[in-house]
Amino acid sequence: MSVVPLIGRVLREPLLHFLLIGLALFVAYDRFGPAGGGGERIVVTRSTVDELSRQFAARWMRPPTEQELSGLVDTWVREEIYYREGLALGLDREDPVIKRRLRQKLEVMQEESLGGDAPTDTVLKDYLGRNADRFREPARTTFEQVYFSGSAPVAEVERLVAAARQALARGADPGTLGQSMMLAQRHDDTPMDIVSRDFGAEFAARLAELPTGTWQGPIASAYGAHLVRVSVRKSGTLPPLEQIRPAVIREWESERRREAATQAYAEMRSRYWIEIEAKP
Amino acid sequence: MKAPSVNVARAIAPVVALLVLQGCSRPPPPQTADDKGPEAAAATPAPVGKAGFSPYTARSYPTRVYWGDQHLHTSWSPDAVGAGTRVGPEEALRFARGEEIVSSTGIPVKLARPLDWLAVSDHSDAMGIMSEVIAGNPKLMTDPVLKRWNKQMNADAQQAYAAVLEGIAMQGKGQLPTPMKDPAVALDMWHKMTAIMEGYNDPGRFTAFIAYEWTSNYGGGNNLHRNVIYRDGKALADQLSPLTTFVSENPEDLWKWMQSYEQRTGGKLLAIPHNGNLSNGLMFATTTFKGDPITREWAETRARYEPLYEITQGKGTSEQHPSLAPSDEFAQFEIWDKGNLNVVPKKPGMIQFEYAREALKNGLAIEARVGANPFKFGMAGGTDNHTGLTTAEEDNFFGKFPSSEPSPERWSENAFNFEGRTIKGWELGASGYTGVWATANTREALWDAMQRKEVYGTTGPRITVRLFGGFEFQAQDARTRDLAAVGYAKGVPMGGDLSRAPAGKSPTFLVAAMKDPLSGNLDRIQIVKGWVDAKGATREKVYDVVWSQAERRKPGKDGRLPSVGNTVDLATGTWRNTIGDPELVTVWKDPEFDPAQRAFYYARVIEIPTPRWTLLDSLRFGVKMGPEVPMTLQERAYTSPIWYSPS
Repeated sequence: MSVVPLIGRVLREPLLHFLLIGLALFVAYDRFGPAGGGGERIVVTRSTVDELSRQFAARWMRPPTEQELSGLVDTWVREEIYYREGLALGLDREDPVIKRRLRQKLEVMQEESLGGDAPTDTVLKDYLGRNADRFREPARTTFEQVYFSGSAPVAEVERLVAAARQALARGADPGTLGQSMMLAQRHDDTPMDIVSRDFGAEFAARLAELPTGTWQGPIASAYGAHLVRVSVRKSGTLPPLEQIRPAVIREWESERRREAATQAYAEMRSRYWIEIEAKP
Repeated sequence: MKAPSVNVARAIAPVVALLVLQGCSRPPPPQTADDKGPEAAAATPAPVGKAGFSPYTARSYPTRVYWGDQHLHTSWSPDAVGAGTRVGPEEALRFARGEEIVSSTGIPVKLARPLDWLAVSDHSDAMGIMSEVIAGNPKLMTDPVLKRWNKQMNADAQQAYAAVLEGIAMQGKGQLPTPMKDPAVALDMWHKMTAIMEGYNDPGRFTAFIAYEWTSNYGGGNNLHRNVIYRDGKALADQLSPLTTFVSENPEDLWKWMQSYEQRTGGKLLAIPHNGNLSNGLMFATTTFKGDPITREWAETRARYEPLYEITQGKGTSEQHPSLAPSDEFAQFEIWDKGNLNVVPKKPGMIQFEYAREALKNGLAIEARVGANPFKFGMAGGTDNHTGLTTAEEDNFFGKFPSSEPSPERWSENAFNFEGRTIKGWELGASGYTGVWATANTREALWDAMQRKEVYGTTGPRITVRLFGGFEFQAQDARTRDLAAVGYAKGVPMGGDLSRAPAGKSPTFLVAAMKDPLSGNLDRIQIVKGWVDAKGATREKVYDVVWSQAERRKPGKDGRLPSVGNTVDLATGTWRNTIGDPELVTVWKDPEFDPAQRAFYYARVIEIPTPRWTLLDSLRFGVKMGPEVPMTLQERAYTSPIWYSPS
């Protein structure tokens, strides 16, 4: 099987059909192709017609009608003629779009030509160990907040905050204090990256430093000021391989593909001698 | 790459500093509020409160907006690779998840914050770039098994079938002939694309949608493009090849193709059209593709497969054209109206079939006539960037093509040039994203929200917006601590329907918006109403329903609200959130309601002015731009409508 499960999955039945037909096309072309001499000859082989038909069926779940098929063949012939005429005129030379396209094809081929089997657990565990930070779960926090809108004048916010703090000290329900806002008063076991997205990075940074169990603050967010009480804080843990195997495989493969591409280019590059003309 | 800004956090810093940090220690009371995302829901409950105490634990409605882009091209789109794009789907996904990558022009780039989801929508045309390699690969014939199969395939159908079966069996055992494992041969780009999407789809944390763009430029650049979004995974998506425009340029054929996909696989698809502004009168034409009158069946089919429309993106905003809404002072916003995608100039009468608001209105009129509304769509945003980089923020804008990635020249270069008809680089917009009110960050939950239109488009900022419609909302509902609970209990969310108004009642709307923590404060919320009047004519009106500094800003004699002002410092590219409000909320009742008339209502949320990417470019690169180039803008969000129908 192929190297990477991704590619393994690509190699499913419909593709196989496709390949076999492609292969037949190649052979047929080989057999019936231009026989030399005479005018330019274009043979629309049986396989080509079948392939056009198959492509149609793959989209529409039915074979093309005779008229539809004839339209497909006409388009194919037209494209082939333009293609050959264009090549004859050398229009493929120094065309940046064609250059980039060929480069892309070759890169895809190189990237996919990595041999070998799916990575073993040893390989993956080693990879996970070396890249632990990339797989660590974010820290989580459970907290409540009482909000004071930033659009009020500073003195007003100060007064409201001081009053709310006194009320909290007397045991008031935080849900009755401050102002309502679209973000909830209570956030349970929330990943810190989500806190950062919801309240802003500065708020999240401050939240991470607060002592737990007591009302603290105010701390600022993009929206205003908040009194905050953190009840639970969990640091981010590194899950065992079993729990995150698909992600580890994905990252491992991705890194390998990038390395392979770099290597392939270096190899090709070594076959060339580059001269850059100096300014006259 | 962040422009300095003075935001509320900084504005209130003195307050925070003044107040001495002091804790007040007492045991935590039983907890009630509980507005958690699916990430939290999946985790161990915190050791506070009692299970079953909270009335909200079984909430079935969405409590979180998930942000994403349903419209991004990578190097797998032929026009992108041709233009020099090097970022492929995999890198594009990594970037959207928040990783730093290197752009096609060699610039390191990272999002200010990750997105929650992404649909890579490369053009279906020519996605199978390797087929000719397959057809002409001589390597295949070096293998004896392949050579034998080859003969069988050319002999007769029975033998060919035997070869296919043998191949499938060998593939299952991992014993395929070596040349066939050569990926130079074994490539079908669609299957590879779906494999990449599968690998990066991480339910609960990041959703990678399988998607493609069907790119019909019927008649030479008349933009009828649609993004097709799959609810399903690879197993279903691989069963049918995406529709290409080599096969058909008629959107009705796309719907047929979608239908055949759904029938064959049991899966689900939706399509999101975009750039009606470049369709030269075709996107929302009030006839079928061939020019026949719209029938009920046609209207139902379109509404079913196209529940959303991309209202804003890099190539202009298609909400409403100023000429169609002269009294809408915010309609003149990132308008591209020179021509179609090939800059073929427009003729009079085309524009009215290109913009979302007009289509929503015409849809009501058609519904009155044929019994179904073909243009019953909600609002989405997308970048349509062809760089593999979903950048929609003004201070981090990487353009549409590699040529419009950051450079001192990009503002003045031609973004489009067709035989001398040009669009300049500065006209490109850093826009947009889609916010999705979903119950979880999964393909299924997000897609379902898109289908029920509980989504909205923004021009880039992540403004949180709720809109609920019903007949019973009251002023105090705007002050509730749990807006969503009241909204869902007493009404329907954006994308929903109201009908048969109770006697003497008018529709009421609970609408709330919260600023993006990284962007400007909010200027105002408007409700845009469209309806069909007693004479059968389509009408529209824009209402300011809640605005900032309401104590000072009163509508003038002409009914217009004074401008919010502008704090942008053109010399530094900064702004102050000393105007606008971080949050706006209100309940609004339609003052001109007629229960016999069809209508729709959507909310438009407007930010205070902030620097446009052109201002930030002019400062970063030290270039002076012409007077025609806007330097500031008022970013905005457009919600999906709520429709009212008399029956």
